[in-house]
Amino acid sequence: MTDLISGLILISTMGCFIAVLLQYSAKRYPEQIDEVVIAINNLLPQTQCAQCDYPGCKPYAEAIANGEDINHCPPGGEELIRNLAVLLGRETKPLDLNFGETKAPSVAVIREAECIGCTFCIKACPVDAIIGAPQQMHSIITEDCTGCELCLEPCPVDCIDMLITQDNLAKTYPLHLLKPVPKPIKSTEVSPCIRCGECEIQCPKSLAPHELYFQRESKTAMEILDLDACIECRICDRACPSHIPLTRIFVETKQRIESEKEKSIAANTAESKFLAHEQRQNQDHKKIRTRASRDDRASILAQLSKNNSGENK
Amino acid sequence: MTDAFVILLATIFVNNFVMVQFLGLCPFMGASQKMDAAIGMAAATTFVLTLTSAVSYLVEHYLLIPFELEYLRIIAFIVIIAALVQFSEIVIRATQPMLHQILGLFIPLITTNRAVLGVALLNVRHAHSFFDSILFGLGAALGFSLLLILFAAIRERLQFADIPLPFEGAAINMITAGILSLAFMGFTGMS
Repeated sequence: MTDLISGLILISTMGCFIAVLLQYSAKRYPEQIDEVVIAINNLLPQTQCAQCDYPGCKPYAEAIANGEDINHCPPGGEELIRNLAVLLGRETKPLDLNFGETKAPSVAVIREAECIGCTFCIKACPVDAIIGAPQQMHSIITEDCTGCELCLEPCPVDCIDMLITQDNLAKTYPLHLLKPVPKPIKSTEVSPCIRCGECEIQCPKSLAPHELYFQRESKTAMEILDLDACIECRICDRACPSHIPLTRIFVETKQRIESEKEKSIAANTAESKFLAHEQRQNQDHKKIRTRASRDDRASILAQLSKNNSGENK
Repeated sequence: MTDAFVILLATIFVNNFVMVQFLGLCPFMGASQKMDAAIGMAAATTFVLTLTSAVSYLVEHYLLIPFELEYLRIIAFIVIIAALVQFSEIVIRATQPMLHQILGLFIPLITTNRAVLGVALLNVRHAHSFFDSILFGLGAALGFSLLLILFAAIRERLQFADIPLPFEGAAINMITAGILSLAFMGFTGMS
């Protein structure tokens, strides 16, 4: 019996002691989820279309960090799901069609002759891409439009069309079924380049084509090695004993980096505009709420009229 | 000094916890999909294993034996392990949020890693001294980390390999683990 009691006492004191220590360490090291949210948010398309049932891309990023499914974003499509799965180490799965289908990237255009100037679409636009005034014609700033389609529904005369800007075969292809792409060639793997340096000797701009070739997947390396200085003269192609199509590879790399840059700039502006939009709306709400209620107004008016009559006497 | 060296080498290679004693196979299979995750998991397990072997020695010799409560050994050790795992999870979540996202459930699952409890119990059975216990835990942890990282590297390559359809997924992983285990059999009897 004493054995049992002393055992109970020992285990429960150990438990209490450990609980106190853990509580203290939890206080000492607070949870930090921001870094994850930012990484996820950078991958999201920043259309702010709210098709995922969250008010914008950032709230959805926060939800993903807290365990929400990664397949609720139709504009991002299969490509986004793959990228998120790699980032977070989760399983890839097909897009959840309950949230909509992936469409080709598009922008909204107003048929301006039919616009009646109701300003409903201006209020609906999450990134402030529509300009106009009451009873005046509205117009869409194409560069700012993310193609979220949120302006279509409120328009009373249905004068907004979606124009497809480019085909996206990649997004209709079931990317999640593909095996992951091999990593960029590392110097230890077999590669047609034997590092003979012949291309470097002959390059008229004194670049190092073999190094550019090996590190073509890394954006920072391309900046350091100054890929932009390449004039695409094809001399290295001819110098290469392994007949690597170096110039073609460099042109492709340049194009890839450029398109990535454009995409990220567009996403950043959309996000900042959305934040500004949100902030302004919150301010509007506050203004409305700070107005006196009906009863208050009645009492204030009564007070005023009393004062006035008092002065008149 | 040589004794210490022998214990360390023996636990890493000859009596490797994963491949020879078949302890801790759950994270070995579960957390080895990606190299980054495997390294994080290996670090967390090393931390927990080494500390567990130290603390469990202290608890065994200064609490359980004086109060004649050896029958509570497993419960007491599990409580210690759970506490250390919780602590390491808190630290990882605060310092490496991205790693915490990737590992997810596998961090709390270190609690049920057989290797951790195995080390604590084997320490008692072999009657190791305090210093030897820590070395034994460290060796087990290093052996586990070695295997986990080796296996993660192999699995990353397997993703690009053209595997016959019936062998894809778990099957090829089992086969690979079996071949790895065969390789470690080569060390048997060397101590």
